[in-house]
Amino acid sequence: MRYAFWPGCVSRGGCPELYPAALAVAEKVGLDLVELDQATCTGAGVIGERSEELVDALNARTFAMAEQLGLDTIMTICSTCQGVMSSVNYRLRENPAYREKINGHLRDEGLSYKGTVRVTHMMWALVEELGLEKLANLVTHPLRGVKVAPFYGCYILRPRYVLGFDEHPHRREYLERIIEVLGAEAVDYSGKWRCCGFPIMTINESNGLRMVANHTLEAKQKGAHVLVTPCPLCHLNLDEFQPRAAGQAGRPINLPVLHLPQLIGAAIGFNAKVLGLRRHIVSTEPFIQMTGIPRG
Amino acid sequence: MPQHDVLVIGGGLAGMRAAYKAKSLGADVALLSKVYPTRSHSAAAQGGIQAAMTSEDSWETHAFDTVKGSDYLGDQDAIEILCREALDDIIELEHLGVIFNRTPEGRIDARAFGGTSYKRTCFVADQTGQVLLHVMWEQLVGLNVKSYEEWFVTHLIVEDGRCAGCVALEIPTGRLEVFRARAVVLCTGGLGQVYQPSTNGLAVTADGLALAYRAGATLMDMEMVQHHPTTLKSNGVLITEGARGEGAFLINSKGERFMEKYAPKMKDLASRDVVSRSETIEIREGRGMDGCVLLDLRHLGPEVVFKKLSQIHELARDYANVDVLKEPLPIRPGYHYLMGGVKTDVDGRTWDASGGRRWQGVEGLFAAGECANVSVHGGNRLGGNSLMDTVVYGRRSGAAAVGYARSVDWVAVNEDAYKEQERRKIKAIFDKPPGLRAADLRQEMGTAMDDGIAVFRDEESMGNALRTVRSLKEKSSSVSVHNKGHVFNTDLLSVLEMGYMLDVAEVVGVSALNRKESRGAHARTDYPERNDAEWLKHTLVSWTPEGPRLDYLPVTLTRWEPQRRTY
Amino acid sequence: MRATLRVRRYDPETQPTPTYKEYPVDLPQYGTVLDGLLDVRDRQDGTLSLRCSCRSAICGSCSMRINGEARLACKTLVNKIASPGETITVEPMGNMPVIKDLVADMTLFWDKVRAVEPYLQPVGPAPEREYLVSNEAMERLTVAMNCIMCGACVSDCTVLEVDKTFLGPAALAKAYRFVDDPRDGRKMERLEKYTQTSGIWDCTRCNMCVQVCPKGVAPMERIMQVRSMAMEAGFNKTRGARHASAFAEIVKESGRLDEMGLALKTYGFFKAGFTLTGIGLRAFFRNKLPPLFHRPIATAENVRRLFRRLGV
Repeated sequence: MRYAFWPGCVSRGGCPELYPAALAVAEKVGLDLVELDQATCTGAGVIGERSEELVDALNARTFAMAEQLGLDTIMTICSTCQGVMSSVNYRLRENPAYREKINGHLRDEGLSYKGTVRVTHMMWALVEELGLEKLANLVTHPLRGVKVAPFYGCYILRPRYVLGFDEHPHRREYLERIIEVLGAEAVDYSGKWRCCGFPIMTINESNGLRMVANHTLEAKQKGAHVLVTPCPLCHLNLDEFQPRAAGQAGRPINLPVLHLPQLIGAAIGFNAKVLGLRRHIVSTEPFIQMTGIPRG
Repeated sequence: MPQHDVLVIGGGLAGMRAAYKAKSLGADVALLSKVYPTRSHSAAAQGGIQAAMTSEDSWETHAFDTVKGSDYLGDQDAIEILCREALDDIIELEHLGVIFNRTPEGRIDARAFGGTSYKRTCFVADQTGQVLLHVMWEQLVGLNVKSYEEWFVTHLIVEDGRCAGCVALEIPTGRLEVFRARAVVLCTGGLGQVYQPSTNGLAVTADGLALAYRAGATLMDMEMVQHHPTTLKSNGVLITEGARGEGAFLINSKGERFMEKYAPKMKDLASRDVVSRSETIEIREGRGMDGCVLLDLRHLGPEVVFKKLSQIHELARDYANVDVLKEPLPIRPGYHYLMGGVKTDVDGRTWDASGGRRWQGVEGLFAAGECANVSVHGGNRLGGNSLMDTVVYGRRSGAAAVGYARSVDWVAVNEDAYKEQERRKIKAIFDKPPGLRAADLRQEMGTAMDDGIAVFRDEESMGNALRTVRSLKEKSSSVSVHNKGHVFNTDLLSVLEMGYMLDVAEVVGVSALNRKESRGAHARTDYPERNDAEWLKHTLVSWTPEGPRLDYLPVTLTRWEPQRRTY
Repeated sequence: MRATLRVRRYDPETQPTPTYKEYPVDLPQYGTVLDGLLDVRDRQDGTLSLRCSCRSAICGSCSMRINGEARLACKTLVNKIASPGETITVEPMGNMPVIKDLVADMTLFWDKVRAVEPYLQPVGPAPEREYLVSNEAMERLTVAMNCIMCGACVSDCTVLEVDKTFLGPAALAKAYRFVDDPRDGRKMERLEKYTQTSGIWDCTRCNMCVQVCPKGVAPMERIMQVRSMAMEAGFNKTRGARHASAFAEIVKESGRLDEMGLALKTYGFFKAGFTLTGIGLRAFFRNKLPPLFHRPIATAENVRRLFRRLGV
């Protein structure tokens, strides 16, 4: 399975532990990634506040690069990148006239998007293309006894019509399925499909922190040992800002937050160092101890 | 006890228009509605609102089309006012914020509609009623009009022959309150739920019609009920005439455009009564499909459908699993609108202000919109004229109510006695032994009415319907409730509403049985011809302890002599 | 089709807390959740209270949470959300107090809509005839005017869950409708008002309202339009506007996001230092800080050209 790979900015910026973990896992499970090194930030929903057309042009440029490589699928490791790219792709594929208009902006660079690209997230690819059975076969260190709270991130859930939920109606249950294949137990709680609060941290921090506290505390209350997310932006907020959220809430939280590739990596034999588990704000030590994975 | 110079009952388009006008004139006005105003059924009007805006058109042509559409039963003075004043009202609505579709020149655009000589129906996609309703609500917010939301009126207070207010129940708390007013404007809509199936909302339960009737007002031409030609089979929901206005057409099971046969000139855009009858004939003669004929929109293409008929696309997809771009949509005639209503003059007065006592009414009580009968629709209403009716006559009634309120003193009202009377009424319902419930009667009444007094009718069918209604009326005194609480007791409301509907259904039956001719929507197979010599007159019904009393009143003709009606 | 409705019941007169009650229903092919609830009310249990009227998704009465998501009961086909025999959970809307059973107290909703001055305010004398405006300008507003004020977006808004002062999706979509109406004369005053705290910048862009809106209003997208109009009109001083501008500038410069630069530009140097020190120090000790020197991609000049071409 060969993919054009867009790692996103945060996996190498604010969450530098994600990128190597994702590459390690991809290689081991057999996802062949061709990185789009000249692609840009998707806009993360923010540039769209200035100009939707610009966002469409930026992403059409990325899609066109994938087409040039002869690849029909772009893989992301970020719910936000996934959501923005899917929205743009929906607009561009639905409306050929508009796509031509956007292509007009790319002409200077010799690029043109034909509308053939499909966007997927590593989480989707693992379930839909690799298959959970194959993943299960790779599990060497089943995460027995670990209760994991899934946290999806808004952009991989909504709006469903741009995210292929008609074709794959169970996409909002994949995290739980993966958690269970890895031998761990999924914790059900109402926060799993809600917002981490990251987009308003610079605007209304106390609201953002309240979201962090609500979701992490609820997950803990339902018995979670760790929380896992396919979105590095959610990770930034739920992990880095967790101490401050705990301060605002007036009670300790201490819920380790893992990137999805870290959780998978732990179960398929990588050590804590490769997975960057000690590069978190909230200590992942309890997880390392529970699972007994090598520290490296 | 809250009191206001003008109390408007009903928060649909007519009610809000009346309240807006009254407030603009500086009156102390309040709006009282059993639902939030934006929930009112005006929102379901899809296709548009009529006004002769273009240079080739004129208000006189609009008036003639309306007179002809009414099968000459409409009062021509009222129709002239409607069509003349429609122009200024459209402009006013536009200034208030309605986002009418535009021509390339930036003027208000119009589409074709049934029974009209020119493209005259101004529209906002296929959500015209909803936009008008919401814009009027916005304006009431802007003017800070007092609004009592989710209050259910149980009684109209008449003292010394004058309407002095009402008793109402606050639905969320169950509290009874007496509202005193110098003038009351009823804008409570039609009798939609008397018929099953129906395009009308579940809240449309003939409340105002029954309240006025019981208070001594006259109901006029109640036999004139309209069946809309295009409603969905699964749940009776409306598919706008705007679809045909934009070029869709009807076909039968053989794929024939059958309207060419029944209305060679106007075809699919003949009057609603004509189209509904034609469809019924096709279905009865075996050229239907599963009780329906087909509405074909395929040739309109996505551009027209998504921009101008998007709601239709959605409704057909959701409730019939049909993509109108790919296949024709099964539809059939279904109950839609009441042309009849509380008899008023051209200023919404329910009483004969000329002093001539030509009909019985209640001084101080006004009515507008579907619950009123001015009468502009006569035997058959043209599409797009009901919204205009609410706007023009809502405004006129609001203004007249202010004038009246300023000319009279307060009437004394014994608040406690009225509250006690209503409390006892409710307690009597709560005390009924378990058994029959309102829901059991509703379906039987609805089906009986739709079987007996619908697109075609005769002595026997109407007699059956009336007998059923009368037997249900007897049973209704033993109807009980499960819920005996105070908070949001919709079980109790269903009993009170059932009482309203049965009273009004009886009036429809009596009126229909007695009109021995065919005119407009009143198509009798036993009297198939219109008979102007004997029946160019309005049916009047008033309440007496012995039952409905029938009277008649001549139709007002101004400049249009009755002619043969063809399309 | 057979299904079971698991309905949250609450009667403040008799119950201290809500309970769930299950009702079996048998519905026709195109039966909706509303049909099911009416069947329960008419034939099984008359004590059930709910709001409903039009049955065709235009009056906005019957919004409630169905399987955890705000929906119109009349627009939710049972066969689309459940297999035969399955249970469907029906609850009142969220973010609002409950009056009884499925009836929510929408006072908060209406107060918020009223707060945006939801009525056209032209300035100057009205023309004799209609305002001459393009069809395109009017059609653009229909998407917002499609709102039937059912409250679904407010029910599920993730910001309102943590902050009841937020104006919320419905009110702000209504706000958009006036800001973008060429006939309204108070665009600048409106933008100033809507950019204040609890306004457009407090939306967390979670897409929940886009997902649950039964009428395609996509309130969040309307909020983004107002943000864009506010920035264009020069309301750049809010932190949200600074964040958006800084974000775009950084990506324009290098093709990628640089979190350090973004923080500095959004907060200003001193404030950023102060606000982020706690976070930054922890991150430093975890070997987690974003790179201090952000390298542009090789084709950054092409990206800059694209930004310039589209006026950003």
